[in-house]
Amino acid sequence: MTSTACRVFRTAVCIAALLIATRAAAQAIPSEPLTFGDGRVVVSGDAAVAFAPKDDGFFNYSSYEQTTLRQVRFGMTAYVRLSDRFSVLGELRSENFEYVTPFALYARIRPLPNRRLDLQVGRIPPTFGSFSRRSYGHDNPLIGSPVAYQYLTSLRPDSVPADLDELVRMRGRGWLSAFSIGDRVGHPGVPLVSAFTWDTGLQLSTGWNMVTAAVGITNGTSSDPRVSDDNAGKQVSLRTTVTPATGLIVGASFARGEFLDRHIRPLLSNPDAHDFDQRAAELDVEYSRDHWLARAELMRSEWTLPIGTAGAVMPLRSLATTFEGRYTFAPGWYGAARVEHLGFSQITTPTQTTEWEAPVTRTEVGIGYYVQRNLIAKTSLQFNRRDGGRITRSQLLAAQLLYWF
Amino acid sequence: MVVASRARSFWRRSFSTGSDVRRLYTTSLLAVLLLLTTASSPAQPRLGTIRGRVEIARVFQSPERRPSASDLGTPPPREIPDLRRAVVYLETAPAAALESREPARARMDQRNETFLPHVLTVDQGTIVDFPNNDTTYHNVFSISKTRKFDLGRYARGKSKAVLFDRPGVVRIFCDIHSHMSAFVLVFSHPYYAKAEVDGRYRIDNVPPGTYTVSAWHEGETRDTRTVTVPPQGGDVDLDFVVQ
Repeated sequence: MTSTACRVFRTAVCIAALLIATRAAAQAIPSEPLTFGDGRVVVSGDAAVAFAPKDDGFFNYSSYEQTTLRQVRFGMTAYVRLSDRFSVLGELRSENFEYVTPFALYARIRPLPNRRLDLQVGRIPPTFGSFSRRSYGHDNPLIGSPVAYQYLTSLRPDSVPADLDELVRMRGRGWLSAFSIGDRVGHPGVPLVSAFTWDTGLQLSTGWNMVTAAVGITNGTSSDPRVSDDNAGKQVSLRTTVTPATGLIVGASFARGEFLDRHIRPLLSNPDAHDFDQRAAELDVEYSRDHWLARAELMRSEWTLPIGTAGAVMPLRSLATTFEGRYTFAPGWYGAARVEHLGFSQITTPTQTTEWEAPVTRTEVGIGYYVQRNLIAKTSLQFNRRDGGRITRSQLLAAQLLYWF
Repeated sequence: MVVASRARSFWRRSFSTGSDVRRLYTTSLLAVLLLLTTASSPAQPRLGTIRGRVEIARVFQSPERRPSASDLGTPPPREIPDLRRAVVYLETAPAAALESREPARARMDQRNETFLPHVLTVDQGTIVDFPNNDTTYHNVFSISKTRKFDLGRYARGKSKAVLFDRPGVVRIFCDIHSHMSAFVLVFSHPYYAKAEVDGRYRIDNVPPGTYTVSAWHEGETRDTRTVTVPPQGGDVDLDFVVQ
């Protein structure tokens, strides 16, 4: 798209947003979505403005230029019901007024209208994990995102290290990573699971009483979701949840997909000797009662990557642990906290034995206040510690205003 | 002695028997009581009825579930709230209407991810129960100035109650399901009525006088009129149009 076309597109989206917002303001109840065509078309939107000091340690960056703590984000979601069996969902997002992305765009097919069986095709929500599907501001009690879904490791699908020393030298620099094999230009690395980009493929979900299950086949991997395929390998992901009692949800996910970009494999001496994939497994628990909500998640990810071109292969593992709690202490007021750790497996180089990426520990505490039902003001204090990189500690005070209809 | 004798003679001539004397006493007593009653309080006014119809001229779309692109499948169906009910009430009421009444109890269900009824009208001092009839949690709360509360999460078969001790409009929400909302209208007097599905309403026992009457619908007072209930009482017709 040319820059002129981009500007026209951006302007059109802004005008559309303004028109819909005006319509929303004219409605008696602005907290509810807009409906057209007797409920066949439903449009909702959200806007979030977050303020924080500069994150010099790049702890909260989800890409080279975007930090989750200093961000203006607009989103608009549309649901079009074409029949009882067929509907289309789409979501546009814009961050810091820089671009508009079709975050989600997929068709939902329910072959048997009275059965809980749905097929979703297109740019679909992640099957793997729990947070990706509640990364919207009003579902996140704090401002920052869990490290497993946001923190950028140094790994890239299109750039691999020539040796382990090179890998170790990139510790703590995931926000702008580059290795000597493949693309040498610096780009952001990947998180364990990306909550900010969705994958493309198909997804089948069903449920029986207290059990739900979903399976997805997509182009990318959990850490590198893609619109177009980059390696002719598909990811298979599974998720199931059980609700043994009201308020208690236990979930488990598994995913495996080809990770390495197709341009790297020809550079290797024995390109077909291994699968260079990402395997991830996850277990999550949520329990709520009265004014309490508690969540815990354990996630393990393993990338199998070439080290150099001579045929060396190294499994690089990481383990993320997250505990999150929320307590409503007065009508409209709540407090929340999240404690988490992201650890990495050790490797031995000729000079040292160390983790292949710098472990990160993060604690975030915050308060939220409902100005009205669909307008929340949040503030949080985040403590980050990293055993490597240029900056190893940071404390960030952030504030966020969030509106949705 | 002569005077007393003449008096007795007069009584005997006028009332030949003792029963006549008793009748006279009774009649006199009733007459005095009637005079006293008439002098101490005016005649009771006849009460009137304000009745009519609230026409909902605008189409109010039932609130849909917020579309979420992050769902792994079709969300479960929910009950559609009835948005046709308006509430008509006197803006000001006779002083006698503000006397305290017995605390009452009312109920607002949570069923199929919908508050039922969508609009609840109660007297000031009423305790409202919020039972959960769904298999999922609900978290009823309000941040309205009239009454702020948060009942927390509770499961099916359980209920929590809230005392509405101040008049006003209270908007009710569920913290888990953003498409769930309802209204509780709390009145300090009994002169209000929730319109039927066809818009008809009736406010009985309104003392004679001139009143400002309002029609409320979906969070806003949509129409306000002035009406006079005549001294002789009777029905007064008053229609509203919600644009």
